[in-house]
Amino acid sequence: MQQRIIKREAFYVKKWLSVASLILTATVALSACGSSGGGDKSSAPASSSGSSASASETSSGKPVELTFWGDWGGEGQKQFETMVDAFNKSQDKIKVKYVLQQDMITKFLTAATSGGSPDILFWDRWRTSLYAPKGVLHPIDDFMAKDGLNKGDFYDEALKELSYQDKLYGLPLTVDARALFYNKKLLSDAGITNPPATWDELEQAAIKTTKWDGNKLLVSGFSLGDNGLFNMYLQQAGGTMLTDDGKTNFNNEKGKAVLAYWDKLLNTDKVYKVGFEQGLGEGTDAFATGKLAMTYTGPWMLTTYKKYGKDLDFGVVPPPAGPNGDKGSVMGGFGLVVPEGSKHQQEAWEFIKWWTANKDNALLWAKTSLNIPGYKPALEDPFFKDDPLWKPFLDTLEFAKIRPQHPGYSVMEGDALVPNLQLFQQKKQDADTTLKKAQQRGDQLLQDNAQAK
Amino acid sequence: MASAGKLHRHQARTAYLFITPTMLLFLIFTVIPVFMAFYLSFTNYDVLSHMDWAGWDNYRRLWQDSLYWLTFKNVLYYSVIFVPLNILISIGLGVLMNQRLRGIRLFRTLNYLPTLTSAVAAATVWVWLLHPEYGLVNGLLSYLGINGPAWLAQTETAMMSIILVTLWQSVGSNMVIYIAGLQGIPDYLYESAKLDGANAFQRFRYITWPQLRPTTFLVSTMSIIGALQLFDQAFVLTQGGPGNVTKTPVYLIYQQGFNQLQMGYASAQAFVLAIAILVFSFINMRLNKSEEPVV
Repeated sequence: MQQRIIKREAFYVKKWLSVASLILTATVALSACGSSGGGDKSSAPASSSGSSASASETSSGKPVELTFWGDWGGEGQKQFETMVDAFNKSQDKIKVKYVLQQDMITKFLTAATSGGSPDILFWDRWRTSLYAPKGVLHPIDDFMAKDGLNKGDFYDEALKELSYQDKLYGLPLTVDARALFYNKKLLSDAGITNPPATWDELEQAAIKTTKWDGNKLLVSGFSLGDNGLFNMYLQQAGGTMLTDDGKTNFNNEKGKAVLAYWDKLLNTDKVYKVGFEQGLGEGTDAFATGKLAMTYTGPWMLTTYKKYGKDLDFGVVPPPAGPNGDKGSVMGGFGLVVPEGSKHQQEAWEFIKWWTANKDNALLWAKTSLNIPGYKPALEDPFFKDDPLWKPFLDTLEFAKIRPQHPGYSVMEGDALVPNLQLFQQKKQDADTTLKKAQQRGDQLLQDNAQAK
Repeated sequence: MASAGKLHRHQARTAYLFITPTMLLFLIFTVIPVFMAFYLSFTNYDVLSHMDWAGWDNYRRLWQDSLYWLTFKNVLYYSVIFVPLNILISIGLGVLMNQRLRGIRLFRTLNYLPTLTSAVAAATVWVWLLHPEYGLVNGLLSYLGINGPAWLAQTETAMMSIILVTLWQSVGSNMVIYIAGLQGIPDYLYESAKLDGANAFQRFRYITWPQLRPTTFLVSTMSIIGALQLFDQAFVLTQGGPGNVTKTPVYLIYQQGFNQLQMGYASAQAFVLAIAILVFSFINMRLNKSEEPVV
């Protein structure tokens, strides 16, 4: 018994440690900082000595070993390793090793200042505006110029997301955007021949495909489960999330138009029920199992839905346009960056260039992982051109915009906007209150988190 | 006498030798970080590039941070329901599982099982069980003619759902602690009470409950600390939603420190949380104060 009690205590101690871990990380990082005489100073000599060291190593004939950190495990890990192996075989000067880091960003925080930094980092692009100002990423403009790479070959918005104050910090590996997935059978059963192209058509199609049995929703016409898509609807209504001077910009007629549309779909037309999709993972996914006629999602779901083969006949179209014909979708995706602490920045760049700025390799990556590469020439391939499921995404990417580059944007969205939208969807507050509260709290959060330096 | 003292000193030395590694770990990973956090809470430390003295800025910002105080309100609501229920259910289970019956070990094990699953895995399964249309819970309710709510998606039921899941997961281990406590109560007390004609309720009220006071103190303190540090379940089940009703202080500390790189501010939040835990543990100690020395 006593032993079990001790175990129980250990459990709580563990929990307490998890809270204290942030303090801990801080201590470790700080002590490392102190010993090397400040983070800023330590990075400069490291890079210069690194390049000379690497030069001597290359001349001696021994390959330079690079570490590549990413947080994709399972299938993703295999996909990365395919690319890494292909690169290692393509030449004999550089040898890259993929290291899976489940909690990558947290680990990078300490590694960036205390040495042990990886040479290449798999990078969720929206983080750039938060990390680049701290000087932990190495700008690649000089490499780009030296190798004569054309920025026009990449999606402009994706490059923008990897930039901070006119400096570019990496190249895009994948690009994605949400488009409208529709169940062909459910739509044709309801007598709809063309997938919706406008808000009105979307509403009509949703009404026709929804089926209720008393209080039980059998088939939902259109998913309204993800409040985070507000940004996308706002673009379709002709608005933007933030003003140029970094304040929220949705408490206006455009924001109201979005909420009015949601309210109509949810409460008048009753095409959806709050919580309908929550907890439905792969295999029970509402769209895959025919319980949802239309939904906004991204290319990452194609593999899953294709698995259902004949049972799920689906199509994809770009997001329907808003009342004034405005189109909108949010672009996201990953990139590859070189940390400032890397001792082999030149070699790391070679690897990034090989992967992201070469038609064949970008295509190999696309086929391996079923992602849309950020390198446009690779998209000319029949693999993309002739596939009806890729085309709508490529069309969507033409007008999709990245999330605003404000260090506080994600907190504003997560803590101020989405909670208020949830209350609105549950009819706990009206549209005016929702937007007003989201604006007040959102502006506060933007201001509190504006200092990324 | 002299040799006894020598032996005593020898034993003391050995004892210190044995506890040294633990004390060193405690010092390095608990005591020093706490002081560091206190220091960092007065700076704008961001882990990566710099650290300036910020004075009381973080605490001033904290004072005006309505979301941070809302998260405290959330965990207080959680604690007020969770802690008493946790004690009641685990003491009940403990008494039931303390019977000398055939196969009782099997029942004890079954009750203990949920504790062994990881919080995240269990929460993932519960998301499915609590699904409004296809979940088992609402399925059972519909047999009774009740139209169940969208448990996790509605502001009214989201926190109750989390209480339900964490209770399911924590009563097992507390039951074990109570069984240990129950087995420490001498039998002669019950025998003499029976001779005096005390019924089962009276025996529980005047013997079991007072004798279990140190156990209850342990369980309630641990529950309060656990409640204030609620994170895993709230994170997986609801992501702090809907409408911020299940966001917790630890959730905000994590977000501020690791997602926003504002370790100074996160340290201030963590420090206030630590003080809150201290205060509530102290109140609990007072409430559970008894004539006999506790613990």
